[in-house]
Amino acid sequence: MSFDLNQVIRGRVWKFGDSVDTDAINPYYLYPTMEELKKHTMESYRPEFPKEVKPGDILVAGRNFGCGSSRPGLVLREVGIAAVVVESVSRLFLRNNISRAMPIFMAPGVSGIVKDGETLEVDYAQGLVRNPATGASVALRKFPPLIEKIFQSGGLLEFARQRYLAETAR
Amino acid sequence: MAEKLLSRHNLAGVPVKAGDIVEARIDGAMSHYNFVEPVHQLAVQAGFPEGLPRVWDPDRIFILLDHHQPALSQELADANQLMRRHVERLGIKCFHDAEPGIAHQMMADYGLARPGELVVGNDSHTISYGALNVGSTGISRVDTLYVLLFGELWFQVPNSVKVVLEGHHPNYPIAKDIILYLAGKYGDDFAGSMSVEYTGSLVPQLSIASRMCLSAHGVEVGAKFALFPADERTREFLRGRTDKPYEPLEADPDAEYEKEIVLNVDEMPFMVAKPHQFGNVAPVDEVTGIKIVQAQIGSCANGRFEDIEIAARILKGRKVAKGVRFIISPASQQVYLQCLKAGLVEWLVEAGAQVVTPGCGVCQPKVGFLSDGEVCITATTRNYKGRKGSLNAEIYLAGPLTVAAAAVAGEIVNPREVFREL
Repeated sequence: MSFDLNQVIRGRVWKFGDSVDTDAINPYYLYPTMEELKKHTMESYRPEFPKEVKPGDILVAGRNFGCGSSRPGLVLREVGIAAVVVESVSRLFLRNNISRAMPIFMAPGVSGIVKDGETLEVDYAQGLVRNPATGASVALRKFPPLIEKIFQSGGLLEFARQRYLAETAR
Repeated sequence: MAEKLLSRHNLAGVPVKAGDIVEARIDGAMSHYNFVEPVHQLAVQAGFPEGLPRVWDPDRIFILLDHHQPALSQELADANQLMRRHVERLGIKCFHDAEPGIAHQMMADYGLARPGELVVGNDSHTISYGALNVGSTGISRVDTLYVLLFGELWFQVPNSVKVVLEGHHPNYPIAKDIILYLAGKYGDDFAGSMSVEYTGSLVPQLSIASRMCLSAHGVEVGAKFALFPADERTREFLRGRTDKPYEPLEADPDAEYEKEIVLNVDEMPFMVAKPHQFGNVAPVDEVTGIKIVQAQIGSCANGRFEDIEIAARILKGRKVAKGVRFIISPASQQVYLQCLKAGLVEWLVEAGAQVVTPGCGVCQPKVGFLSDGEVCITATTRNYKGRKGSLNAEIYLAGPLTVAAAAVAGEIVNPREVFREL
């Protein structure tokens, strides 16, 4: 479940616009099982996405990504999205990704440096996302130390487990 | 106010500033149907095969079946059954089981969130209790598990945005028009991750119901908190609902704001959000003439007495247009009862409206699905593509008056032009 925040992620880009909502990402009302969700995620914006997305692809979107409900974007991980890179993200979607240690990066200006289908490289350690073909790059926002710690330990669930075990062992 | 709220709840016991990360003490946690499926499964995943091994304080956890009462399918009935077992096992005292309604309205109805408290819930509209000066906000399911175990959670202290509302309140609700106007003018993330503080000469004139509409919609403009000051209306509302003491949050006169927005409602037209985003807003005059087949009033944004009352007032002596399904869902049993006692339900049903069981269903594809090509105008929370079923249906958001007017006319109209009594 965990991933290394400092490992460079490289993948083919799927681009989306502003204010992509959780009903589009995770239309669970209509498709309650993960198998069904995988066939329909993001189709309200790009009908070809669930059919053509490949493991390792990167999702790039505009501002306010994941607005709407508190539902998580687990399905994006299930279809193989290696990272979500956005101009800005709704706070609940961000909380979900932190608590489940799913790679998400805020990189204002990212929409301007990469086209749909091109390759994007995310280098958290260097604080950059870049387009290797053009050399263009923009800075990504570093997380505060506590959040980095949650990511590195595999999410808040693992955190909770360890804390509970430590408390009850006393 | 947000800095004060999180300073007061900071486990480290020191004051905090916007941008700081705090680990905060939680006063109350709301959970709805998520308490079973996701939270229980997460507990199992975390290595607790029986589910959560404990809860931090059975008196501070509020479980409401909410979306899933009455059960709409066999799966939900089975999930509700599992939920009852876990609530009993964990000794949780506040459990609204056999009562339909929206969790957020019931939290208010039963005085479960008080001014100055930090309350969380695994539903985005938990932010609603800001109407009552409660620092409340939605959290993720994993966060919820963490809170249930430890009564603590991390937060980043938000910047604040001050929204000054001025003007005179008309004799119908305008909260929806206000938030749509703001989202249209300043963007659907103008309060992104921030704390909204409402102030100005209109605020004392706003009912608790209108404040709850504005606070609930805090999430539709990206906010972490959406706070109103605690005033005489707040105290009046809480009288008889809670006997626990509370300490309201007040903004310092020299408080710092990231931005300040002023709106005079006297100059504001009726507003509509067009498909398929909350910020895709226009004055109603730009969309008049669009034919509708469904109209709805309900949800944690607009399922309260004043929302249903204005519809009943408009419909009294009139008929819902032929071929229009006008669905009204009170936010809770308490609201429903209030509407019944006031005779509103009779007027509505006589006019051809349908009044359905309180709950979240009308705001989702659960009650009143739309088919391809159908157009719906609704006083609920969201108009995202597919929100009511078909991806090829169109959903317009508007205030309850504009919705009721459209239900009578069979198309979107400017209510002021149709109803001379306004």
